[in-house]
Amino acid sequence: MTSSDTILKRKRRSLILLLAPFSIMLLVFFLIPLGIMMVYSFLEPGLYGGVEWNWYPYNYGRIIGWPLNDFEEFEPIYLKIFLNSLQIAIMTVIGTFVLCYPAAFWVSRMQGAKKNFALFLITLPFFANLLVRIYAWLLLLRPTGFFNTVLQSAGLIIEPLDLLFTNFSVIIGMVYILTPFMFLPIYANVEKLDYSLVRASQDLGANALQTFRRVILPLTAPGIIGGSVIVFIPALGNFIVPSFLGGSKVQMTGNLIERSFLQSRDWPFGAALALLIMASVVVLIVFQLSRQAKAEARGVS
Amino acid sequence: MFDKILDSKIWSLFFKGYGFLFLGFLYLPLGLIFVYSFNANSINMAVWTEFTFDWYLTIFGGASSQSSFDAAFTESPERIFEVVKHSVIVALSASTVSTVIGTATAIALARYNFVGKRFYQALLVLPMIVPDIVLGIALLIFFVGAGFHLSLLTVIIGHTTFLSSYVFVVVSARLAGMDTSLEQASADLGAGPITTFRRVTLPQIMPGVVGGFLLAFIISLDDVVITYFIAGVGSQTLPLFILAMMRRGLRPQINALAVLLLLFTFVVAAVGLWLRSRKS
Repeated sequence: MTSSDTILKRKRRSLILLLAPFSIMLLVFFLIPLGIMMVYSFLEPGLYGGVEWNWYPYNYGRIIGWPLNDFEEFEPIYLKIFLNSLQIAIMTVIGTFVLCYPAAFWVSRMQGAKKNFALFLITLPFFANLLVRIYAWLLLLRPTGFFNTVLQSAGLIIEPLDLLFTNFSVIIGMVYILTPFMFLPIYANVEKLDYSLVRASQDLGANALQTFRRVILPLTAPGIIGGSVIVFIPALGNFIVPSFLGGSKVQMTGNLIERSFLQSRDWPFGAALALLIMASVVVLIVFQLSRQAKAEARGVS
Repeated sequence: MFDKILDSKIWSLFFKGYGFLFLGFLYLPLGLIFVYSFNANSINMAVWTEFTFDWYLTIFGGASSQSSFDAAFTESPERIFEVVKHSVIVALSASTVSTVIGTATAIALARYNFVGKRFYQALLVLPMIVPDIVLGIALLIFFVGAGFHLSLLTVIIGHTTFLSSYVFVVVSARLAGMDTSLEQASADLGAGPITTFRRVTLPQIMPGVVGGFLLAFIISLDDVVITYFIAGVGSQTLPLFILAMMRRGLRPQINALAVLLLLFTFVVAAVGLWLRSRKS
């Protein structure tokens, strides 16, 4: 055996050793559980929780309107809730975008230590506990909360406003917890913005609006799309925000999943709903990856 | 010119004003909890009555001057200590294991080439991207089906699964900008792979490894959704405990607990962010 063979063999052995722990863990505690969840979504719910090992597509039928037989009716409520979740997730994406885009320009025009400090301040709340941040909005929005107390003592309103338990309060909570996810990718793009192109556009006679629409917006689009994808994903399946800021009035698919697992103990139905969310996410990620691959092929990032 | 416009007085004033509003939006809610946590008024937190440390004292078991009505709504220090202990055990073990696993994998992918590497790379970050609720219930189904007793161990396993992805990403970023000539020099001078790793590679990636560990630690300490599904009755963590308290209604003790958690998280995050900014 030549020495290069031994080196190659040793290299392969260390590669396998390095990759083994993560690979095994990924397989056992990630891929297999997801696979089982998928299988469960096609099984019949057991009478007292758990599953019966019978083929049972009705879990999906309940969601998309394909009842199994005369006894089980299609309930459009689940589809409605899913559409409402989609709507809230999209509104959250728009909200975080509107909030973060100007802020990214603000930070990108700063210098040195000031810029680092601003980035630090913007990133920090992201590390605060999810519950603590939602709790804070409860304190702001509830009838005896901060906003109503301030408005009432200023004499602007007499009765407290119903700020809580609306789609709006859920969206505000979502925007609040997901802002850094939008800010950072947008900022990375705005920071790299090549102002010579902006100048060229102006020199060629474009007005500010045209320059923005045809030069600045396309150049920062990768960050906007990237941020939108990573805001949309956690927003879609979230159930903590709607269960506190939406009360019983705003239902999202995440709440349905939670209830199917922990209250009604209909695991297959919950698994089917989870798979619906998973499918939406996969579609988005495939879209994002193919867009990235195309951009790389064109030589831009 | 657009950059001139951005630099013009009016626009820079606009951006400055906007920036402060943006920071206000980020910090007003958190600042509010902080202020409320010192308010003696337990009926309506938004109305200030007087300054008090009582809510903090009840957490640490100090004497409280509050009425018995309030005492009925405060949790015992023993119970709080127990859930904090659970959180720390989970966060320490999960972030330690995932730091080792994530770092090993990051090194393997940065230093070796193999078939299907890009696909494997995409697979590695999946646990981080999959919605929490999906991962939570998938693990719940798996643990129950495989006959695991839901306990701190299942929480640690669940956290390690997605935290390894975070560590992998952080350490990979550090490795990407690293010069390999030092490693080659070390190998040329006769050092074995282990010596080279310990004396050359590890010191260079250390900020990334520590940063990854701290990030994993915070995420584990703060995780609600995944823990919610895979924690057993006796393995409640601090966030689950706060969740249960919030469901029973808003009491001032939550403010104090939230502030303490917030301060602790911010200190750890600040150290982590500082380490990361040091590399540039």
